[in-house]
Amino acid sequence: MTTETTTVRPTARRILPPPVTGQEFVLTGVIVALWVLLGVFTPAFLTPGSIQPLLVSVAPIALIGVGMTFIIITAGIDVSVGGAIMLCAVITAKMMVTANLPLPLAVGLSIAAGLLLGLVNGVLIAYGRVHAIIITFGTANLFQFFALRVFGSETVNGIPGTLDVFGRGEAGRTLGVPHSFAIMIVIAAIAWWYLRHTTGGRHLFAIGGNANAARLAGIRVQPRVMVAYAVTGALVGLAACFFIAAGTSTLDQAVGSGRELAVIAAVVIGGTSILGGRGSVIGTVLGAILVQTVTSGVTQLGWPSQLATLFVGVFIIIAVGTDLLRQRVRAQP
Amino acid sequence: MNTARQALTLGAIALTTIMALSGCTSRNDAAPSGASASGDKITVAFVPKLQGIPYFEAMNAGGKAAADELGIEWLYQGPTTADAAAQADIVRSFIQQGVDALIVAPNDPDSMAPLLKEAADKGIKVAPADTDAPNSVREVFVNQASVEGIGEALTDSLLTAMGGKGDYAIVSCGETAANLNAWIDVQKKYTASKYPDANIVSVVYAGEDQAAATSMATDLMNANPNLTGLVGECTSSAPGVAQAVKDAGKIGTVFTTGLGTPMSMAPYLKDGSSIASILWNVQNLGYLTAWTGQQLAEGKTFAATNNVSSDLPSVEFDSASKTLLLGPALVITKDNVDTFSY
Repeated sequence: MTTETTTVRPTARRILPPPVTGQEFVLTGVIVALWVLLGVFTPAFLTPGSIQPLLVSVAPIALIGVGMTFIIITAGIDVSVGGAIMLCAVITAKMMVTANLPLPLAVGLSIAAGLLLGLVNGVLIAYGRVHAIIITFGTANLFQFFALRVFGSETVNGIPGTLDVFGRGEAGRTLGVPHSFAIMIVIAAIAWWYLRHTTGGRHLFAIGGNANAARLAGIRVQPRVMVAYAVTGALVGLAACFFIAAGTSTLDQAVGSGRELAVIAAVVIGGTSILGGRGSVIGTVLGAILVQTVTSGVTQLGWPSQLATLFVGVFIIIAVGTDLLRQRVRAQP
Repeated sequence: MNTARQALTLGAIALTTIMALSGCTSRNDAAPSGASASGDKITVAFVPKLQGIPYFEAMNAGGKAAADELGIEWLYQGPTTADAAAQADIVRSFIQQGVDALIVAPNDPDSMAPLLKEAADKGIKVAPADTDAPNSVREVFVNQASVEGIGEALTDSLLTAMGGKGDYAIVSCGETAANLNAWIDVQKKYTASKYPDANIVSVVYAGEDQAAATSMATDLMNANPNLTGLVGECTSSAPGVAQAVKDAGKIGTVFTTGLGTPMSMAPYLKDGSSIASILWNVQNLGYLTAWTGQQLAEGKTFAATNNVSSDLPSVEFDSASKTLLLGPALVITKDNVDTFSY
């Protein structure tokens, strides 16, 4: 995992990290090894009936993870995504039940709501200049409050199957590929390209590396930071539709709860530095797949459920530990 | 430039503060107002584990109905997360208000016990409902159903559909939830004794998370190709396991049952992905809770069978365990599911 230090060579014409980092190779290796092992011990694991639902569960976490990667690269964080999922999901589900919204309107409404919440975070953090964890911790509670208000002490019952196209069932797949997962991959690919090959993307790394230096270099830091949160908000809106689709026909107030930690776990396990300035979208997607593989694997092996929590915790510590070690190695002359 | 930025910062902080404050006041609006307990009416306060979920809202509806009929005042407030500390704060506020009877569905029975003692010392009649606090000063426990009643009804409904044999698995919720664990114990013993050809292959814990319950149920079906039954042990996993069966296209080969509220289970009972939902009449439980509070406040004792209302003509009281029992478990199927409004 530490081989990455040797790959950043100033001899390259443009100073870009390699398209796929060492950590991503390691993660891919771990996932392949786990899948093979699980395939041996529970033969049903490597069947479409098992892999497809796994990918459906990965999709919303990885999708928000793409936005969260942007944010964490700028040395920020967003702990309000759980509350934002809850608010987007309940608004959308309620409108689907009362107004029987067609698919494009439901998705559009959810994304618009998410974008608005992301903008609230982005404006407060970029222009209010208060640390992101404090602002988003506050807005997390506000979003939850508004969501509980919309719930109005009742679950949303009888949600129509409009969003089944993103779901776990037959309607959610084309040629065996879950739609939600495919959409996530397309968005992640665009984000990967943006981060690597556009000025805007490189600016995000510069801001996370050293915001003051970036500002002195002429980067307009505040709009860039704001956009990172707004994009995450919009992705939360889309992911909320995935959550509704993968849930039951009833929506309760547990929706979104704890998801911010699942998303941050995927980003961190994927090799994005929690200190900012370094990270990749591919790693985040792999991190989300790894976490879901462990969760599903523990259940399929018939092991006690709490072991999944243990493994995810160990992965996070290994990932963060590796990152800090790498920073220390690099800081030495 | 600098002042503009400062103004913006201040504005942002002010906005956040206003939003936060308005949030607080709105929440307090929901708190019982004028609960001074100074009137002649008996005040019965009920603190649920969690406010805002259909289960406790249905209990609240039953309690309100009882209050109207019995001429008492019914106060209802609970925490917004199932958190023992937040619940304790609400209990303390009711103690300060000096209500006549205080009934709690404790999130943590052991930490609630000293608070109940504090209330009793101040002359407030205390009782747990829905979840017992056995090591407390309680005078009575309002019990929705016996542990055996629930565990056996779950097992019978599932195994009838499974033809009395085969492998099944349980998707439970909180790993430390005492009532769920007690039901699971009964299910294990009862299955072993009454259905020797049936086998519980796995018990997993999804928390109060529908999505987790659904994906765990999917994993269980994949890992155990011979699985023909799933039990959703709480109100979030009961629809979750049914949804998993529906998504996998296994309606009719894998049967599910569970403890689900009628409205959340209705679509699944109708399409056959759920055979039955086992519960109790939650509104009646709320009614019985309010009635119990009134009896306690008036200093009355309980008879072996009590005529509570026309719906609850003979509620049994077990003097050894000091428990009022609502009645036998309620089996909700596609035929009666539409008669419930929660």
